[in-house]
Amino acid sequence: MGTIEERIASLGYTLPDAAAPVANYVSTVSVEGAGLVFTSGHVPRNEDGSFVTGRLGDDLTIEQGYEAARNVGLALLASLKVELGDLDRVERVVKVLCMVNCTSDFADQPAVANGASDLMVEVFGDKGRHARSAVGMASLPANVPVEVEMVVKVS
Amino acid sequence: MTPEERLEELGIELPRPQRPVANYVSAVETGGLFFAAGAGPPPGPDGRIPSGKVGRDFTVEEGYEHARSVGLVQIARLKDELGDLGRVRRIVKLLAMVNCPPDFDQHPAVVNGCSDLLVEVFGDAGRHARSAVGMSSLPFEIPVEIEMIVEIID
Repeated sequence: MGTIEERIASLGYTLPDAAAPVANYVSTVSVEGAGLVFTSGHVPRNEDGSFVTGRLGDDLTIEQGYEAARNVGLALLASLKVELGDLDRVERVVKVLCMVNCTSDFADQPAVANGASDLMVEVFGDKGRHARSAVGMASLPANVPVEVEMVVKVS
Repeated sequence: MTPEERLEELGIELPRPQRPVANYVSAVETGGLFFAAGAGPPPGPDGRIPSGKVGRDFTVEEGYEHARSVGLVQIARLKDELGDLGRVRRIVKLLAMVNCPPDFDQHPAVVNGCSDLLVEVFGDAGRHARSAVGMSSLPFEIPVEIEMIVEIID
């Protein structure tokens, strides 16, 4: 087990099984010349594999949104592990786009997105500190509360 | 088979490349990556750009066709900028934005129109990462807008 995976375990987190995409696309694409991995938008799932659902500002609290964003962060790490073999190859989390399913008057997207951002810094330390956009969406697939994509620099 | 030959085999004629509507460019090439601006569907036979929300004004199947036509616009851009579609090493990433009502949840089925086209034309090099999301509005009420990152061969 690599250093980063040991850190994940010591934090009390478990990586989920990497979810297969639901259509004609892939979870991650590596651009080797640039040393970058681009991920698909990932969504939160319950332990039984079903989607976490709900909309911020309507039927979910900010805390529930934060948990959902962290859940997505763990799913992203699981996909990265499949792509890289070893999460120790992550040199930097470059950029996160966090899209929150919310009502049009909801304004706490950053507090929700922090669920993913805090996880990346907990797991990778300074290498986990990233640029980010956190925005509100009118709807998301299957009514999930949050969808997150990421760009990662790898060695 | 080259992507151009594949397009011909599929009987696809690329639309004319769209020009940006404001102070930005269609695409920027840097560091072996090609970043394409968000594009919408081309004008239909009546010369008008499709407008409306998927799930209200368009069915999911119609949305799929619109996403496919946006894919054609992006391929036309690649052809225009690169000259040769054989320079595409990999379609890396799509951000696909569907204009839809708040209770819509079939975004992936719409965006598949573009994803399926890219795999048809480029084969395994067309298999990409993507995000599919819902927007409360898009410019000119277009039903779908898609931006794209492509790895190119120098």
